[in-house]
Amino acid sequence: MALASIAAWVELQTHANEFKNAHLKDLFRQDAKRFDTFSFSYDKYLLDLSKQRINQQTLGKLIDLAHQQELPSWIERLFNADKVNDSEQRAALHMALRQPEGASLHHEGKDVVSDVQASLAKMQILVEQIQNAQWRGYDGRPISSVVNIGVGGSSLGPLMVCDALEKYAPADTVALNVYFVSSMDGSELEKLLPKLDPATTLFIVASKTFTTVDTLANANTAREWLLAASQQSIELINQHHFIAATASPSAAENWGVPVSHQLLLWDWVGGRYSLWSVIGMPIALKVGMTQFRELLQGAHQMDEHFRQTPLASNLPVLLGLIGVWNINFLGIHAHAILPYDGRLAQFPAYLEQLEMESNGKSVNRDGQRIAYRTCPVLWGQVGSNAQHAFYQLLHQGTEPVMCDFITPAVRYDGDGDELQKQHQLSLANCLAQSRLLALGDSSMSENDGASKFKHYDGNQPSTTLMLDTLTPETLGGLIALYEHKVFVQSVIWQINPFDQWGVEQGKKVATSLLAQLANGLGDDLDSSTDGLLRHVQRQTRGVDSEN
Amino acid sequence: MRINVYGNGLSAWVAAACLAKVGNNVVIDEMAGQHQRALADISGIGDEPGLLTLIQQQITAGRLVRRQRDAHIATTIHWLALQASEKVIAERVVDALSDPEVTGLLVINQCNFAVGATEELQVCLAGSGDVVYVPDNLQEGSSIQGFTQPKRVILGLDNDDALVKARALFRPFTMNLDALQLMSSREAEFTKFAITGMLAIRLGYINELANLADLLKVDISVVQEGMGSDPRVGPHYLSPGCGFGGQNFDAYVSTFSSILQQQREGSLLKTVIDENEQQKELVFRKLWQHYHGDIQGKVVAIWGASFKPGTASIDNAPSLKIIDALISQDVQVQVHDPEAMSNLQQYYPAEPLIRYANTPLEAVNGVDALLLVTEWPEYWSPNYADLLKLMRVPLIVDGRNIFDKTLVQEFGFSYLGVGR
Repeated sequence: MALASIAAWVELQTHANEFKNAHLKDLFRQDAKRFDTFSFSYDKYLLDLSKQRINQQTLGKLIDLAHQQELPSWIERLFNADKVNDSEQRAALHMALRQPEGASLHHEGKDVVSDVQASLAKMQILVEQIQNAQWRGYDGRPISSVVNIGVGGSSLGPLMVCDALEKYAPADTVALNVYFVSSMDGSELEKLLPKLDPATTLFIVASKTFTTVDTLANANTAREWLLAASQQSIELINQHHFIAATASPSAAENWGVPVSHQLLLWDWVGGRYSLWSVIGMPIALKVGMTQFRELLQGAHQMDEHFRQTPLASNLPVLLGLIGVWNINFLGIHAHAILPYDGRLAQFPAYLEQLEMESNGKSVNRDGQRIAYRTCPVLWGQVGSNAQHAFYQLLHQGTEPVMCDFITPAVRYDGDGDELQKQHQLSLANCLAQSRLLALGDSSMSENDGASKFKHYDGNQPSTTLMLDTLTPETLGGLIALYEHKVFVQSVIWQINPFDQWGVEQGKKVATSLLAQLANGLGDDLDSSTDGLLRHVQRQTRGVDSEN
Repeated sequence: MRINVYGNGLSAWVAAACLAKVGNNVVIDEMAGQHQRALADISGIGDEPGLLTLIQQQITAGRLVRRQRDAHIATTIHWLALQASEKVIAERVVDALSDPEVTGLLVINQCNFAVGATEELQVCLAGSGDVVYVPDNLQEGSSIQGFTQPKRVILGLDNDDALVKARALFRPFTMNLDALQLMSSREAEFTKFAITGMLAIRLGYINELANLADLLKVDISVVQEGMGSDPRVGPHYLSPGCGFGGQNFDAYVSTFSSILQQQREGSLLKTVIDENEQQKELVFRKLWQHYHGDIQGKVVAIWGASFKPGTASIDNAPSLKIIDALISQDVQVQVHDPEAMSNLQQYYPAEPLIRYANTPLEAVNGVDALLLVTEWPEYWSPNYADLLKLMRVPLIVDGRNIFDKTLVQEFGFSYLGVGR
């Protein structure tokens, strides 16, 4: 059924019209217990929605909408390995990656959990060999640096988690340097390689298809560097300096990675949902296999919460529905992700992919164009730094923006006093900013009668998501929370969050342009592309003749 | 004199036995709680030539007694020979000795604690006596001789009153010495540290030269002779090899790291210690390079597992690192050592990839390489024709440069030495 004719949708529109002019400062004034009403906790997570522009009716109607869109049965379909990725005729089983050992989940007549556990076990053997300094490079010395070559989901997730959990690195193993390289132009490798010793550097080529041109270009450059430095055969270099994490073992083998050094994932793992699989090997190398399994365990607990908790107290459901309310009924199309913890510096970039690649769609599951908004523009950075950058726009700009404030309640337990004070400072800023955004000038009595330039409208809605502490387990839960939030929204919007056709066409166009760049001018180009191409060729000739 | 010795390591037992031998009445307090182990089971004692016999003789003669729990000891001389990690225990011992009613105690501190530790112990002892630092110059394999006929004795003391008593205690061992070297305890502690570091740096340097010689196609043993004949350099501690180890070295490293914690930048010594850990794997790397990394499933002989000849100790021995590396690559190891076999079996219980050979020749049966790791005398001149017959591949990796390269090659072996 078209969304516009769903009863709850229509009701929400009416409700929104009545509610449009309500200001958060009045909502707080009217209800002294607003926090109690609109904050929800589960285990080590607290979701505070009281600074959202809602009342109790709003939440009720949103839950109605979820029911009318059959969210509970969609959740079951997701968990039951139905082909919820219908445009590619696949299931989306990232939850199977974090099922505990001994569980089972049948997909096309096969228990995928045992496959998952086997793949993790193989990864663990390689991880331990490397961490025990027994993986040897071409001259027999142990590997001390690992470079992950991957892009998109094969980079953003592992990079974000490694960054967040660095302090959990085990003390009893070799301290490994773990690096990430993704950009197609080779800039990162160009900078990194001179700092590394080729004899003790191992590359993980992480690519689900093993055809990603960005990744293969970097892998080829890395191999060329190793061959030149070692003067060894390509077979020896492939054997001792490359591991592949892939769903295409034959493509990886053709490139040169021996089967024994391949780690498998499956086509039912989406790239942006793959950090839980062998794509997460850099995480296990950096913070240890035990902590990697805790990360999986935290995500699994969130899966269970999502699957079993009634919608009205289900954190991913509530987070998703609040987004729908803001986007489709209050007309807010920008979403800022603001972690108040430097360890989560990469989290906004990670969510940019998770949310925008999943729900940046304008055609529904039936292939029809839709007439409502879907995923907003989403960006962010560490909140306290962003205060000195784009908060001006949040406070006094013309764009309505919804914000997610994310912070641990407790940090630096047992560390120095000054560090603990820094956490208090960060918390104070986190709370102050969301308060000022919500209430505007009214949050400060002395600002009455200030000049127009100093005026704060307020009424920018925000969510505060507080973890007890940031650990492998709670980080796993936090990521899974957002994964499921994205799914919830896709169900409301009737779109498929698991495909990404919008990133395919550009690759094809680039392939044909690459030929034209090399061979001279092509036909059928628009004048802009044609002009730019000519300019590059003129410049290249100019440089050649100067040399 | 009545002396109480504290500790259960090699230094403690050597001191106790040697002090008893010259007529003192010695009680050794092993700080072991209720369990006193049989002498032969105490690690280090059995490995040290002559020590077990000497201890038993002194016990039989009644001059050496193992302290029973809570037995009262009335003596004025206390000798601390604890491990570098046991500073807390040392403080507890000295605290217990400290008594406002008592004066005139002599506490000898022979432990490798940090620089300044003796002063701290003196604070614990307060007015009850003096703490004197005497560096532990124990050399595993010749520790009895080292104690009874020292080439030098340093006394680190901060109060001249202690000198008379300390001199008397050491008189039986220092009759032939011109003089005791006297300095403050802090200086003596730092001297001990400095000597060990100096030797480590010399060995680290010659090892680095040897690795360069490999690249430059130069024979390091020729260079070594040339260097040693320069009186400014001298010949000692100039033999390259696959790294140094031993219990004492371990103690040194831990002392060193506590000192270094106060200083953040990289240091020459830290580099030497890190490089030494790498050097221990040198023999493995040469094998790896020879076979281009394709060593899985091969069979390899190891001659020598103790950290140096003349001892059964395998503490921090290069052989351990080499065996770890080999079995991680699924290489079958056939090992021989004249004395360290049972220690090795304890270290690798039930490791299916290790076979323990009764003779050197048994070890080389059917192997793809022979790795010489510890230069025990019986390995220096093997019957090459037998070796050639028994080995599947005639490859010798000589981690101590004991074989004559030309001779070995004439027999038809491939030879890989350290820097030759």
